[in-house]
This record gives sequence, C-alpha cells and structure tokens, in this order.
Amino acid sequence: MPGASARWLLGRLGGLLLVVWGAATAGFLALTLIPGDPVDVMLGVQAQVSEQVKAQIRADWGLDDPPLARYLQYLGRLVTGDLGESYQLRQSVSSVIGEQLPATLQLTLLALAFALSLAAIATLAARGRRSTRIVSLVELTAVSSPTFWTGLVLIAVFVFQLGWFPIAETGSLRALVLPALTLALPVAGIISQVLRQGLDAASAQPFATTAIARGLGGGRLLLRHTLRHAAADSVTLVGYLVGTLIGGAVLVETVFARPGLGRVTLRAIIDRDLPVVLGIILLAAVTFALLNLAVDVLYRWIDPRLRTGSAAT
Amino acid sequence: MPARYPRSLRTAGAVAALAIAGLLAGCTAASSEGDQQSLTYAIEGANLSAGHMDPHSSQLDVSALVQRAVFDSLVAQDLDGSFQPWLAEKWEISEDQLHYEFTLREDVTFHDGEPFNADAVVANFEHVTAPETASAQAASMIGYSADGGSYLGAEAVDEFTVRFDFSTPYAPFLQAVSTSQLGFYSPAVLDEKADELKTGGPGISVGTGPFVLSEYTPDQEIVYTANPDYDWAPESAEHSGASDLDELVVRILPEPSVRTGALASGEVQVAGNVTPSTVGSLGDDITVNSVELPGLPYSLYLNQNNGVFADVKVRQAFQLGFDPQDAVDGIFFGQYPRAWSILGPTTPDSYDSSLEQRPAVDVDRANELLDAAGWTERDAEGYRTKDGERLSARWIAYTPIPDDRASLADVIQSDLKGIGFAIVREALEPAAYNEQYGPKTFDITDWGFSGVDADLLRSHLHTDGFQNASGLSDPAIDTLLEDAVATSDPTERAALYTELQQWNAENVAIVPLYVPSMITAFSDSVTGLTFDLYGRPLFYGVQVQGS
Repeated sequence: MPGASARWLLGRLGGLLLVVWGAATAGFLALTLIPGDPVDVMLGVQAQVSEQVKAQIRADWGLDDPPLARYLQYLGRLVTGDLGESYQLRQSVSSVIGEQLPATLQLTLLALAFALSLAAIATLAARGRRSTRIVSLVELTAVSSPTFWTGLVLIAVFVFQLGWFPIAETGSLRALVLPALTLALPVAGIISQVLRQGLDAASAQPFATTAIARGLGGGRLLLRHTLRHAAADSVTLVGYLVGTLIGGAVLVETVFARPGLGRVTLRAIIDRDLPVVLGIILLAAVTFALLNLAVDVLYRWIDPRLRTGSAAT
Repeated sequence: MPARYPRSLRTAGAVAALAIAGLLAGCTAASSEGDQQSLTYAIEGANLSAGHMDPHSSQLDVSALVQRAVFDSLVAQDLDGSFQPWLAEKWEISEDQLHYEFTLREDVTFHDGEPFNADAVVANFEHVTAPETASAQAASMIGYSADGGSYLGAEAVDEFTVRFDFSTPYAPFLQAVSTSQLGFYSPAVLDEKADELKTGGPGISVGTGPFVLSEYTPDQEIVYTANPDYDWAPESAEHSGASDLDELVVRILPEPSVRTGALASGEVQVAGNVTPSTVGSLGDDITVNSVELPGLPYSLYLNQNNGVFADVKVRQAFQLGFDPQDAVDGIFFGQYPRAWSILGPTTPDSYDSSLEQRPAVDVDRANELLDAAGWTERDAEGYRTKDGERLSARWIAYTPIPDDRASLADVIQSDLKGIGFAIVREALEPAAYNEQYGPKTFDITDWGFSGVDADLLRSHLHTDGFQNASGLSDPAIDTLLEDAVATSDPTERAALYTELQQWNAENVAIVPLYVPSMITAFSDSVTGLTFDLYGRPLFYGVQVQGS
C-alpha cells in the first residue's frame, strides 16, 4: 500500500514541523519570562562594567526590542536556518552545535551499541531460573546506580588501578570506551529486562506452542518468532532511551572531561546564553520527533498488522 | 515448559561477552614515551570555554592562570612583593606620581614574528580600555573607568619607550602590569582578530611568552609548545633561554577526585584546584603546595541600607553571635585558616595582625547589644522581635554553592538562632541573584576576592565601589581609601590600611570568615616548579624526570 504509507509519512512530517515550532515558541517564552538580565550574567556576577557598556551590549544583541518583535525576528531567522549567535562563545549557534555534536554522537552511538549488546548477552545468556535471578540483580544494580557514581567507580578501577584506559588523553577510541560504558549500563539493564519479559510472554503464547509442536527448534523459534514479538516493545523503549542517553551525557561528559553537547547545554543554561539554549531545545525537539518517526516506521516493519491501514497507529 | 534455548545460542552469548571484554582490554596499548619533555597540568577550569580565554577581558582567575604561558608582562613581582625588570628593562615614576615611563627590551619578538615595541604596548592598553573589549578586570586594575578614573592613557615616546599618564596618583599600577591580565598580544592579532580573542586558540592567543599556544580543544585541553626563541625571562627567574619543557598540556578535568586520581596514577604530573578534603589522601610521592590567597578573605557583606543592619549594634551582635572557628577547621580539614581581618595575612604591605587578638565570639555581649538595640521581645519560635517585627536578615548567594560553604552557612545560621537572630538563606541562580544584587534588596551576601594589592578594598568599601555590597557611604572611609591608593610609601600605606581594617572590625561592614588557599599538588618527577604570589604554578623552568 504505497499510497497510504506515503500519506502517513507526509502527515508525520507535518506533525514534526509543528513540534519544532511548538518547541521554539515554548523555549522562547520560557527564556523571556524568567527574571534576570542576560547581560549581567554574560559579564559575570562581580564584573565591573559601566552601565553605558552594558547598554551597548544590550543594543548589539537586540535585547531591548519588545518581546514580540524579538519573537518574530527569531522565527524569521529560524526559517532561513539561522540559529543566531552565542552571547558567550561569540560564534554562531549552528557552529557551536556542529562542533560539539560529533563528540556527543560518538558517545551516544557507542553507548547504544554497548547497551544493545549487553542487553542481548544478558537476555540470551541467562535463560535458566538461577542465572536469570543473578542477571536480574546485576541489571537492577546497573539501572539504579547514579551515572555520576558509576563513572567515578569505572574511572577508579579501570583508569587509576588497572591503567587500561586514559583519562587525560582526548579524541581516541580508547578514551571513549569508559564514558560510553557508563552511559550504556543503566540503559542495557532496562532493555534486557523488557526484552526478557517480552520473550517469556511470547513463548507462552499459543503460536509458540504450535510451532514447537510442529517440530520447530528453540533457536529458530527465538529468531523467527518470539524475538520479533519481544522486539516491538524494546524498539519503543530504545527510542525513548536514546533521548535519556543525550541527557545522561551531561554528567558523563563532566566526569570524564569530554567535550560535547551535554556540557555546552549546562554552561549555556548557567550563563543564560539564550541563543545556545534555544538552539539545543530545537535540536532536542527535532531529534525526539525523528526518533519517534523512526520507531513508528520500525513498528510497521516489525508488525505487519499496522501496514493494513485498518490498525490504529 | 518454556522453550529451552540451544547450546549454540548460549555459546553465542558467551562469545559476545568475551568479545566485549576483549574490546575493552584490547585497548590497552602502552603509550610511547619519547625524549620529549612533556608535562600535563590538570585544572578545574570548565568555564574557560565560555569566552574566557582573553585575560584582557575575563575576570576569572583561571584565564590569567593558563594564559601566563603565552603572555609576558612589563615587570615581574617577586614573592616578597618587590618588582623586577621583565619586558621593561627599567622604569621611572615621576615625582608627582602621575607619569610612569618604561624602557623596553629591544630583543623581544612575538610568536608570529612581530616585534615587541612601544607601539605594541600602546595597542594592547588601547585594547584593554576599548569599550568593545568590555574588560571586567584588567581595565579596573590600572585605574581606568569609562566615567573618568585615574588612568588617562599610554603613549609611545620613542620606539622602545612608553609612558603612562594618570590624573591622580595610582600606586597599584606596577602590580597591575606584572600580571598576565595586562600581558601583550601581537599587534597583528589585535588588528585582525580582535573579535576572536575571547574564544582564543592557535594563531589568536599570540604573545611573547615562553610557550606558544599550539592546540586548543575547548572544555578539554590546551596544548602549549616551547617557544624556541624565548630569551627574555625576568631577571629573578632561575632559568633562562627557551623552556626545558617541550610541551605543556593543560587538561581540563572538572571533577576534583578525577584530578587527584589522575595525579596519583601518574597520568598528569600537576593537579590544580585540589580540594582540602582530598589533600590527606594523596600519596607520599606527591608534594602539596598550598598558598594562602592574598586579598579579601571569604566574607559576609552586611548591607546597612536595608533592614536590620542599619543599626551598628545589630551588625556587631551578628559578628559576635557565632563561632566559625570549629566549622572552618572541620569543613576545610585544617587547610584554610580562620580570617580575622578584611585583608588576608599574605596581602603585601597591609595586614593588621593585631586584629587576631580581638574576641571572635561573645554571646553575652551579642545579647546585650541586641537588647540595647531594642530587640527585647521573643516570638513563639524564640526569635527576637521589636514592635512585632522579627529580627531577621536575608542572605542571598549565587549558585552553584559549594557544599563546604553551605555547611559553614548552616553553622552560622544555627549559632545565630541561639541569640534569637533569624537568618533566611536564598540560593539564586546568577541572573536571579543579579536582580537582587543590583538594587541591593538583600541583607547579607558572600564571596572572597583575591588580589595582591590591598587597593581592592576600594571597590568594596568606597561609596562608588563597584562591589560595595555593604552599601557603605562614609566620606572619611572614602578619603582613607583614596589616600591609600595614592600613597606609594609602603609604611605609610600600611598605616592607612591598618586604620581601615580597625574601622571595619568596629563597624562591621564586612565579616571575614576564612582565608582560602590555592592548593596545587605535583608528583616527584617534576622539578623547578615555582609559584607566584597567588599560588599559581609557573611552568617556565620546569623539568620532568622520565617515569
């Protein structure tokens, strides 16, 4: 049904634009309404700068225009793809994000790869009752440990004690492993729990019994039937968890002293660097909307019932 | 019975687990040690990336700290407070103290090959005072103000002579030009890249220093490499010529335990901003250098234009009503001494040690003072009242508030409750803090302000002081501060500052609490490391023994 699918996709893309506009507006409103002069923050709490210079900076950034005018200017620039210029970093927001994005992407992608592998291992390796118990305990620990603490423990053991990984080295794959693992552990714990539950539920269903009765082996049953069932839940979850990976990057980037969007976001919020904060809000909105879309597309692929058009989305 | 999984799948899981473990372990390649002398210095400095790489415009200590590698000064200040020739061979101060004339070295060149001369000096001072630079610190250090300060300007007398003019005598000038805040950029950079100085980087942070900034990854590291042509160290330096270190890596590690861990495990050789709590855990092969910061200790500022602190008796009672000694000792592991005066003991030519004899805490006297001030009733919660109003002061602090300062505030709050004095604390993020700080709608706020010259009191106590959080306006105090800044004789100056410190002890505009120290730890492999008056490490002249 290509026509229905195309219409469905168009509708979803229109929704995506709405989400981005909504995020841009909400972000702008929030930043306009909170008290405090960004110029004061920009210069530092104890800075000695005359009112004249402050007024000049305010005029330079258009901060003394009425809010509605600023909102319209802002939307106008957004349409042309211009995110504005950072107050603090004195460069365009697109290049700030562009410079930091690769570091965060590397981190989150490797973390996702670790998380999925660890989840798969935990699910597949532990299928007996006792091993499931042990693995569940490990999962629970991984999920409930604060990222910050996990990172510090990993550093203490693998960097300071064993010396396997560097902390003062930058840019190498070696330096990426521990931060990615820190981010991956809690996520792996959640995914494997959900995956195992899904597998158990699926293998208890009549079709599984039928398949086994027809002589299908356990491995083929898992690969062709039950895993597919269980994966449906996990896909939604992974989509959501990628979002938390980006959020978790703030702490991990600080502990491991890595560059990246997480730290830029934190600084931008503390320094009231409005253009950067807005740029990152938009990036987050677009990312989540795209992830949602990807999850839905994957769903339709995994579950053929959704493609008939009669099933609810 | 649930489906059993075949052995092959379980094996696959185990293989995958082994593969991951292998990937983790396989990354253990030994890092190669060349003949190169390389040193890594770990700092906290996370906010350098927020446009603070230019010491001319930044007010952060960390900017001056790291960029010292790149920027030299006209004069050098010794640990005893005296001044030595550096980029200036000699200098003369006119009898009326309104003109400073510096004779510059003729053999100095910038990293980009530009000559260092009087024009370069003038261009740099023009950059510091230009409105576009919006200098938060450097301009004020030379007495410049857009609304008319002492500083009038710099002028090239001839190729290697430069003169500075002042409208009123300004004694801290030599000290100011000894700092990296007033270091020198290549004039070519000032011309072509003025917009990028705050962001900094190779080809932008270009000075005359012993190191060249060669690589910069914001929030991660700055790599400085030796300047092979360097031959103009201060006379007082023990080393001469190019630096023995081929490479100085400043690594930004915001988490204190990671900094000290990296030092203990040998990944870095020097760690800065070491916290008092981690000093004790460092091993025997680590040396700890702790330098008490000169300037204003960490203090509370009592706003006398708002609420209960208008009455001097209430301010005196506040000061006598709590005992920070045990709290300071405990919270800072004995690393930071209790402060007795509004100047730290290491501030050159000014500290009044007689204040250490004054009684620090006297609850009975505090109660008498409050009774005398009319706060005689008590409400249901035990706080004092007058005409139905509770004796209460609002303390605003800007976030992030370090845990140790929060603990200290707890102690103060609970001690003062004992004399019926309510302290209401508010933690505000910087923008919200400014909303209150600007119009001075608070009773108490807090900070420490390090600086080598006691003149920093002027910004805190003068009617026009930009950090006059106490809301003080006293013509006699203004005169004292103005006389002190215009006096270059050390004994006379010390007498004036003694008078100011005594006055504050009696009138309690500022309540000093503790003297912070700059704590730096370094491994035994490092030799020749020296520190300036602020406790900042100086890497010129350092050698590293191969590990």
